[in-house]
Amino acid sequence: MNQTVVSYLSKYEFYDYLLALFGNNQGVLAFTIYFLLALIIIGMCATIGGLGTYAERKISADLQARLGPNRVGPYGLLQMLADGVKMMTKEDIMPFTADKALFYLAPLLCLVGVFATLAVLPFAGGFIMADLNVGIFYLVAISSFVGLGVFLGGYASNSKWSMLGGMRGASQIISYEIPVTISILAIVLLAGGMGFGTIVGQQGGLPHQWFLFHNPFAFIAFFVYGVGALAETNRAPFDLPEAESELVSGYHTEYTGMRFGFFALAEYIEVFVVCGVAASLFLGGYNVPGITIDILPVQAAQFVIFMTKTLILYYVVIWIRWTLPRLRVDQLMSVCWKYLTPIAIFNLIGCAIWMVVFNGKSIAELVLGSH
Amino acid sequence: MFLEFLFISSAVLTVSCALGVLVVKNIMHSCVFLLGSLMGVAGLYATLGADFVAVTQIMVYVGGVVILMLFAVMLTGGTDFISRAQNLLGLAPSMGNKWTYGMGLFVGVVFLLTNIKLLMGLTQTLPTKTINNEFPSTVTEIGHLLVKDHVLAFEISSVLLLGALVGAAIIARPRKQN
Amino acid sequence: MMSLASYLIISLILFVVGLMVMISRKNIVAILLGIELILNAAALNFVAYSRYVTNNLDGHIFSLFIIVIAAAEAAVGLAIVIRFFQIKETIHVDEATQLRN
Repeated sequence: MNQTVVSYLSKYEFYDYLLALFGNNQGVLAFTIYFLLALIIIGMCATIGGLGTYAERKISADLQARLGPNRVGPYGLLQMLADGVKMMTKEDIMPFTADKALFYLAPLLCLVGVFATLAVLPFAGGFIMADLNVGIFYLVAISSFVGLGVFLGGYASNSKWSMLGGMRGASQIISYEIPVTISILAIVLLAGGMGFGTIVGQQGGLPHQWFLFHNPFAFIAFFVYGVGALAETNRAPFDLPEAESELVSGYHTEYTGMRFGFFALAEYIEVFVVCGVAASLFLGGYNVPGITIDILPVQAAQFVIFMTKTLILYYVVIWIRWTLPRLRVDQLMSVCWKYLTPIAIFNLIGCAIWMVVFNGKSIAELVLGSH
Repeated sequence: MFLEFLFISSAVLTVSCALGVLVVKNIMHSCVFLLGSLMGVAGLYATLGADFVAVTQIMVYVGGVVILMLFAVMLTGGTDFISRAQNLLGLAPSMGNKWTYGMGLFVGVVFLLTNIKLLMGLTQTLPTKTINNEFPSTVTEIGHLLVKDHVLAFEISSVLLLGALVGAAIIARPRKQN
Repeated sequence: MMSLASYLIISLILFVVGLMVMISRKNIVAILLGIELILNAAALNFVAYSRYVTNNLDGHIFSLFIIVIAAAEAAVGLAIVIRFFQIKETIHVDEATQLRN
């Protein structure tokens, strides 16, 4: 049975009061809860995406010994609001030869693909909109809308830069989906389920209980996932679809104002989602060390732990972007097909053999004895 | 209530986007309408409690097939050949007199009535057992079925996919001119 | 509202529309779009029968295999289309009259 936030809340007493308040209409109450939680999560993640642009500029400035934005607000923190106002008030330019319907549709597809993944991201125990049985599979599937949005954006602009960027983006995203999905499959094998609740629940709070250190193959799978996820989100060193030095800015060259903002926001939130998935698949997710009970202070601690892990990974992603040079197109494809995919398949088989030979025990359990 | 809402919206999406594939002239727009139709079918799977199939549908079609189609359209120029049959008036035969048109109309009416009769009968004779609205997880069950009852088909499909992969790569590769 | 008949009618519409797309379009890629619609109609039928009639999951398995085969068919079909375009520089279906070269 799929767990949702409604079925989680219905275990508590105040749910009955709420139900009485809504005239015992369960459908309306469930809809209200979903709607409010969706508003909260989307608002939170949009803020994180906005702060992502600020963090990117600040961290890059730090790495290059500059100051970065420091004029708007304390430490330049309100820079994202200034950027937002600038984007909102800019003129919305539509190229004369553009395919109008698809030009409007493409940024929305990107944004929908990213926001839909937030439904299954486990922020804390209970604070997950729908703990589907097919959770991680759903996340991988629905995020392929981003590739479609990139491709259609490149096509609809009817410009050579955009076209090349869009084709590069789509081929890159559908190629790197393969090693990413296979390395996720290795973790699904360890956890024995595809729901995020199951996957996080199988791990513990302390590092030796994480899937990252479960066995050597899972350790390699983490890095395969990391490289593939960087490529899937079009981040450097795999940012060929928007390579400034070759393609002006790739698939969103012709986009202005808030439509460009949608692409940028989708990219930053997708990086956050990818980091959150890495944190919950490999780094123990929201588990607090030693405590398993479900009460409100513990859940707050779980939320803090999840966000800490995710934001550390976010920092690493930005760090990589400002450190490594960009790959060539042929190098990009050979990295995916000649190295990452065979390694990922090897990992999957290795994990399966490990599960059979050692009866599902992790390294720590084998060394320290079962706990 | 949720289920009915999901069912109606998915059904409307499926049917209207399928009609869009048919009537739209631009082949690129046809591909996008096909995407909408396939998403509608995924929603219908979800109303049937087939969560795994629904997500597989999204995964394979959105992430793979539709993008492949769009690629093929772009690599082949994207021109569509406006055929006479594509506007609905052109579907009517251009040769004929009032007898042939009359006969055509008569056949059409009979065909329509037969279909309506069949569909009406269908709703009455189909099993109408009460369905509980609880959806147990199908993932575990499908996994067991795939490696127990249907293991031969599973293995053969993996060989099929390998053959398709290699075959597509070999066919699409430009050959040396000799 | 939600009964086997409504699913069957939707599947019927999908099938007929797919057939009409296959007949009326002259672009080979568009014909492949029609084939996808027809395959989806079949898969939808399997899942609907599996829920309302047989009560086991064999229908789900069958529609999974249909999805697999549709993906393989699309890959090979589009490879053929691209190869055909390299040779003939058109993808009008009536130009495909030779089996060689």
